[in-house]
Amino acid sequence: MLQCIFLLSDSGEVMLEKQLTGNRVDRSICVWFWDQLLSHGDSFKQQPVIASPTHYLFQVVREGITFLACTQVEMPPLMAIEFLCRVADVLSDYLEGLNEDVIKDNFIIVYELLDEMMDNGHPLTTEPNILREMIAPPNIVSKMLSVVTGNSSNVSETLPGATSSCVPWRTTDIKYANNEVYVDLVEEMDAIINRDGILVKCEVFGEVQVNSHITGVPDLALSFVNPSVLDDVRFHPCVRYRPWESYQILSFVPPDGQFKLMSYRVRKLKSIPLYVKPQITSDGGSSRISVMVGIRNDPGKAIDSISVQFQLPSCVSSTDLTANHGVVNVLSNKTCIWSIDRIPKDRAPLLSGTLLLENGLDRLHVFPTFQVGFRVQGVALSGLQIDKLELKVIPNRLYKGFRALTRGGQYEVRS
Amino acid sequence: MFPQFGATADTLSKASTIMFRIGTDAHLYDDPEDVNIAPLLDSKFDSEKCEALKRLLALIAQGFDVSNFFPQVVKNVASHSLEVKKLVYLYLLHYAQKRPNEALLSINSFQKDLGDTNPLVRAWALRTMAGIRLHAIAPLVLVAVGKCARDPSVYVRKCAASALPKLHDLRLEEHSSTIEEIVGTLLTDNSPAVVGATAAAFSSVCPNNYSLIGKNYKRLCTILPDVEEWGQIVLIGILLRYVIARHGLVKQSMMFHLHSKEHSSSENDDSDADSKFGKEGIDPIKKYDSELASMIYRCYIEGPDDYLSRSSYSNKVFLTFSGAKFTSSKNNEDVKILLQCTSPLFWSNNSAVVLAAAGVHWIMAPKENIERIVKPLLFLLRSSRNSNYVVLCNIQVFAKAMPYLFASHFENFFILSTDSYQTKALKLEILCTISTDSSIASILKEFQDYIRDPDRRFAADTVAAIGLCALQLPKMASTCLEGLLALTRQDSFTSDAWASEEEAGVLVQAIMSIKMIVKQDPPSHEKVIVQLVRNLDSIKVPAARAIIIWMLGEYSKVGEIIPKMLITVLKYIAWSFTSESSETKLQTLNTVAKVLSNSKGGDLETLTKIGCYVLELAECDMNYVVRGRGCFFRKLLSSHLGSKKLENEVATSSQNEGLLNVLAEHMFHEQATQQSPVPVNYRVYLPGSLSQIVLHAAPGYEPLPKPCTILDDADFEAEVPEQDGSDSFTGSLDEESGSYNGSDNSVASGGNTDNGETGSSSEDENIQDPLIQISDENHLRPAGSADLEELMSRRDLETWLDDQPSLPNSSIPEQSKVPRSARISIKDIGKRVIPKTYELLDPANGNGMKVDYTFSSEVSTISPHVITIQASFENCSSETISNIVLKHEDFTTKPSDSSESSSQDDVPALIPMEEITSLEPGQATRETIHVRFHHHLLPLKLVIYFNGKSHPVKLRPDIGYFVKPLPMDVDAFKDKESHLPGMFECTRSCIFKGHVDYLNKEKGNHTFAKDKFLVVCESIALTMLSNANIFLVSVDMPIAAKHDDASGLCLRFSSEILSNSAPCLITITAEGICSEPLNVVVKVNCEETVFGLNLLNRIVNSLS
Repeated sequence: MLQCIFLLSDSGEVMLEKQLTGNRVDRSICVWFWDQLLSHGDSFKQQPVIASPTHYLFQVVREGITFLACTQVEMPPLMAIEFLCRVADVLSDYLEGLNEDVIKDNFIIVYELLDEMMDNGHPLTTEPNILREMIAPPNIVSKMLSVVTGNSSNVSETLPGATSSCVPWRTTDIKYANNEVYVDLVEEMDAIINRDGILVKCEVFGEVQVNSHITGVPDLALSFVNPSVLDDVRFHPCVRYRPWESYQILSFVPPDGQFKLMSYRVRKLKSIPLYVKPQITSDGGSSRISVMVGIRNDPGKAIDSISVQFQLPSCVSSTDLTANHGVVNVLSNKTCIWSIDRIPKDRAPLLSGTLLLENGLDRLHVFPTFQVGFRVQGVALSGLQIDKLELKVIPNRLYKGFRALTRGGQYEVRS
Repeated sequence: MFPQFGATADTLSKASTIMFRIGTDAHLYDDPEDVNIAPLLDSKFDSEKCEALKRLLALIAQGFDVSNFFPQVVKNVASHSLEVKKLVYLYLLHYAQKRPNEALLSINSFQKDLGDTNPLVRAWALRTMAGIRLHAIAPLVLVAVGKCARDPSVYVRKCAASALPKLHDLRLEEHSSTIEEIVGTLLTDNSPAVVGATAAAFSSVCPNNYSLIGKNYKRLCTILPDVEEWGQIVLIGILLRYVIARHGLVKQSMMFHLHSKEHSSSENDDSDADSKFGKEGIDPIKKYDSELASMIYRCYIEGPDDYLSRSSYSNKVFLTFSGAKFTSSKNNEDVKILLQCTSPLFWSNNSAVVLAAAGVHWIMAPKENIERIVKPLLFLLRSSRNSNYVVLCNIQVFAKAMPYLFASHFENFFILSTDSYQTKALKLEILCTISTDSSIASILKEFQDYIRDPDRRFAADTVAAIGLCALQLPKMASTCLEGLLALTRQDSFTSDAWASEEEAGVLVQAIMSIKMIVKQDPPSHEKVIVQLVRNLDSIKVPAARAIIIWMLGEYSKVGEIIPKMLITVLKYIAWSFTSESSETKLQTLNTVAKVLSNSKGGDLETLTKIGCYVLELAECDMNYVVRGRGCFFRKLLSSHLGSKKLENEVATSSQNEGLLNVLAEHMFHEQATQQSPVPVNYRVYLPGSLSQIVLHAAPGYEPLPKPCTILDDADFEAEVPEQDGSDSFTGSLDEESGSYNGSDNSVASGGNTDNGETGSSSEDENIQDPLIQISDENHLRPAGSADLEELMSRRDLETWLDDQPSLPNSSIPEQSKVPRSARISIKDIGKRVIPKTYELLDPANGNGMKVDYTFSSEVSTISPHVITIQASFENCSSETISNIVLKHEDFTTKPSDSSESSSQDDVPALIPMEEITSLEPGQATRETIHVRFHHHLLPLKLVIYFNGKSHPVKLRPDIGYFVKPLPMDVDAFKDKESHLPGMFECTRSCIFKGHVDYLNKEKGNHTFAKDKFLVVCESIALTMLSNANIFLVSVDMPIAAKHDDASGLCLRFSSEILSNSAPCLITITAEGICSEPLNVVVKVNCEETVFGLNLLNRIVNSLS
């Protein structure tokens, strides 16, 4: 049972407090929290559960905004964390992004949402579709209206129909002139390549994202050509478990609009699209670094948005890095970002330069890890393929679309 | 280059921000008070009301108190605009408890809204009405909830379900059955959404009312997958508890298996499936530490504190789980259906649901099916970043109990550069636990990468992990050693500028790991020691050198090579002695002493020379510890050395040699404890619980119910044995404690003797120091076993005290429900309570007669309303004093011959005392006098007659003794306190400095340095107990309190007023630094407010 939720800006200012139960939590807890944060630094920031002298705190940080929840009694910590994530999702969906200003500007909506999402410390309505009907998101029309008329209500006068239906994620009376449904496979490839250049681990974490605009209450069935490659799956609540268990078919009544139907994992892949070969040699107080990037297994489509990012060891005092392709940026926190975008046909991109070490150090003995980002459109690197999408009742003028995209996820090359 | 462009861009972006902010509530948040809010609230336009309310909310958001607008806001609750309503509700909920009287004004409007046709209006009204939490309207809310529980709208029913905990929070005993009834109705609801919300209500209203679940069990299981995610989390927990309480544990599950391994008799007669399974099971079982695993399971059932306290008397209690307490998953429908219905939840999008489902399977599923939980858990690690750490914490426990579950998935725990330090450390630990012969090669390869990680703290952890892996898989020891040795040779460590402390940490850790591995089998790792010693010259970190030198001494006789090179090395370390750090010097001395005491043969002369040289250097050292140790060794070794020089004198040496052996042994131990292997985490809590993450029992944490504690009629007899078992336990304690009651022993020794079986020296220490039960991991780390004993004795003590609640002198509350603050128990404080003595008659005025009195804490034998006073009469004159009697001033009006008759009046009365016939010079006597004060606080005018003369005296009543101790535990205290709110409560603060003197005194002698915290607690408690006749309920200190910060320290005392037995509760909260005067807030909750106020003043006076 959560007692209170605080929203903190990135400077530690309490932007909002929402008391949830009778036991009020004083906002001095935020002062304590921020003091700890300042004295412990990053490791504290990444700690999701904190035992303070008076309360247990849960924190989720999204785009600089800290969502802080307090409790004094035993409760599943994941429930609190998931809830805070859900709040963050809903808010960033409503406000089209999260930052200090946007929350302050729309604090009434934030209050109304929080009040609707949680009752007495237990989540009440968290389904975004229902929330949208109960509390209208700010949009340009309502903004203009409020400027012209002085006021406009964003609180719905009636209860969304979905709250009483057996498909609480969907309102029943939706009408579209053009019925469309888009299914996207969005995958992230995780890989670890160790110092010897051996692929230690390679897997894909993917999501099936659906954007549906269909009249009435459609019943969809999505099937894959090769469901056996899936190692594990997680579903949106709308997916029926039984058909999946028996036939590996996703049968569901979709919420309206964009949603994440399923996430999946494909393990033990053998081929990676890119290679990154870092080389670091040390000699007398400075190190030579060279990083080569190239295509290892051509996925058949163009790879773009390639970037290589790494953290320079703290003992490096200055750098002189140049690349024969793309742009190199060294940030103030010693993060080096090399944006390549596409690999040119004529040459392999090469980053080279020297790292000047701090006085007294003869050679480098700690080595950075290179995080690789890329994007391949049109291909799901896991090999998962959608077979077909069927509708029980086919509305007139239905358009179905399928896309795939693979991004670099936790793609790490050690040196 | 073009500053004007920059400026334009800047203004442009500003302009766009302004554009973007138009139409939002930005201006309200930025400057909420730029208009006068009050008139807006009274406006007749909804839009203006809205604006005013938004401004108020903005002020609330910014942390200002705007409760002064309450009356005006409440008026608007009747508005028809839903937006205004919503905003008013938001405001109301924030302040209702502060302004209960004004909040009552809104009730009519709620009542009206509850009859509205719009379900949204009904739901909001119900939510707000229940949310304002006023005792006065509780019956109304209850009726409303009952009505809404039958509402046609699902949403309203859902809100009715979530209103129940709010009602329950008000602690209305008389309504609790009605509330439970409504819970029962809502549990049978058709809509899964309502069931989910009701499950949450059930768990906070009546978590142990299993009959409600029993009635609907099957339906609840089948509906489970359709319940919304948040309800699922709670419902899974409820169903699991029900099944265990109803049917017990599953025979095929891990839980039973571990148990039956200990008492292997029961499995033989089991069915085919079981025995077949047994055979298969042997292989993996070998691989895990069954003791640890079985402990984990017992922790689930008994709660860790219980288990730890009980482990002393073997497995007696656990035996009672056998046989009847188990059920089979194959035959039992309830278990089957639970497992069946929770398994699709592994696919849930909500990580909390997945973990809860995994918890059920972990505890209930047949052993061969437990593997199902592995993949979903591992998937959680990737799919929800924020839950990562929590999931890992749980996996860690699973992996410790059954490493083979995760053994083949080791890749999932490989570290990423983006992981936080805590995550990395957890992953390392898991990797160590699950490493097997087949995976260790890959894991070690990974570890080698980690050693070069820029985060050096993590690198040091990795080195330690390598050591642990080597211990776990002895086959890998030599490979690990090679790697570690290579590490110590790296020039980053050996170069003169070993960069930082962290770098040094890695090296020290590497050498520690080597030491740990070598210790397993010294002879086979001889070469490693030799290599280390060879590197000694290049290793500069003092701690590392110290360990290597220690190893040299420890293994000086191992193998062939070391004895040969010993002399050379000793010469080297003797030569470098002066340039070493004192840590290394000490180890050098130890080594030299060890070598000397062990050596025989031809090298003796050289050795002795080296020894003498080193000792001489040591005795001239700057550091007094080194000097001291040098002198000590010289004394110890002198005869030894001497005997070697003068070959013939062997007579005395034998004794000394014995001494030396003892010494060497001692030194060995000193080192061994310095590096304890990974501390075994003794605290295990249910999977998915908050307690498991913070590693102490959070308030409200409940272990699983005892198996088969709810039964249908047929099984009723079966329960009896277990009951007997636990009864006999407490019974035996009773006897024990009874014997102590008679003797004049301190409370603490009771705890000690109860533990006779385990009675060890460490327990004696426990008696010296007051016990603190701090549920904070940091404090609990030091040593598993000592910790365990401490807990045990404390526990026993508690039980003992619980049986003797009338003892006012000491208190240890029963298991804390609120351990967000740690509970301190102060023992034998009663002995140190010195009641204050007042003077009734001083010898100068009274012809040499001296009379003092003290208020006694005894309850009078005559009547409970009478206060007992101990008076001491002393004759300080040189003549005999005779016929002493103490009477009322004018006993013509106050005959007071019998206590019964006088009780009609409310005038203070003295119950006549017996006359003291005579008192010789110098003689003193004590008399007990009984006075009925009737709450009169004015001094009672009395006369002392002796030698025929009368001497008027005044007896000043002490309100602190108008009460008597009312023993209770903390829960009872809190409960009572909640019944005495508002006007029954009064507070005052003062400065307490009683402890400062003591602490200052303490500063002088370090030997008895006590915890400052305890001193503070003790002095407050002592002051209180010496000034009033009260019962110390509990002493709480906040967890994670800073070392010197007493803020949050809370002492609770309870008492009841003698005359009418009304409870009177005292809470003292301290704030400030331990070593300085504390700011103390005293709160008295008492039905008799005037009495409470007087008592409060008295306490404040005595404290400050």
